Amino acid sequence: MTEAPLKERTASAEEVELLARLRAGDERAFEALVDRHYGTMLAVARAYVSSRAVAEEVVQEAWLGVLKGLEGFEGRSSLATWIMRIVVNIAKTRGVREARSVPYASLAPEGEEAAVERDRFRGPGDAFPGHWRAYPANWNSLPEEVLHERDTLRVAMDAIAKLPPAQRTVITMRDVQGCGPDEVCAALEVSDGNQRILLHRARSRVRAALERHFDG
Amino acid sequence: MAESHDHVSCSEVVELVTDYVERALPPDEAALFEQHLNFCDGCAWYVDQIRTTVDTVGRIEPEEVPPDVRSQLLAAFRDWKRS
Repeated sequence: MTEAPLKERTASAEEVELLARLRAGDERAFEALVDRHYGTMLAVARAYVSSRAVAEEVVQEAWLGVLKGLEGFEGRSSLATWIMRIVVNIAKTRGVREARSVPYASLAPEGEEAAVERDRFRGPGDAFPGHWRAYPANWNSLPEEVLHERDTLRVAMDAIAKLPPAQRTVITMRDVQGCGPDEVCAALEVSDGNQRILLHRARSRVRAALERHFDG
Repeated sequence: MAESHDHVSCSEVVELVTDYVERALPPDEAALFEQHLNFCDGCAWYVDQIRTTVDTVGRIEPEEVPPDVRSQLLAAFRDWKRS
């Protein structure tokens, strides 16, 4: 996939107002900013460094970078984009210092990955090649309580924890933090098509984990 | 991505589902995809499983700022304000 990254937004009216409050030294505004971006920053950092602990250090260092740059920030990108760029720069530097063998280029999806085991579909010699051998379950018939159980949430969280770093970051940004695809593209420096492939693989793996859980 | 232009198989549906729910399929492919769901319960349930997965992941609490990190950051903000 080679399409250009999505067009970046400039700072929104809300962000311009928030910036004014920050520059005036409003602590509540700063806390709100930290609360809003902390989880996403952590998810982004984790795509570039090897451990959660290092990612936490990256995020702390990034906040110091944000404070340092706040006066000079001109709003040519959104505040969120600018903050994530600071995270990425620090995370990359840390990644190099950690001598991580994985190059950044590898945040783009690699190889093939089947969403569902291929042997669940009929083979090419069959009368209906590519059709399900047995249908997946209808989760609409599961009791609502089962879907909302803490156990179910735990299965999803564990599955996310086990994902390859780039997939974990994408599903966390998109489905936990509620980021848009453009934010993922900017943070991971991948095309829109590639962020969708990473999201697809991540969601497919979490679905498979939930299926194993529900089917027992 | 489909093998032919007039047909989507179940094994293709499971690979196209994210493009479909993200509204990234070209209109003609989206139409074929929906046509398939209309006659295939298995794939309709599969797409529903993916939507349920997204909903479930959406209920995971976002990471909260640990209290010690919060106080360190606030201290940094106060220093910054003074400088």
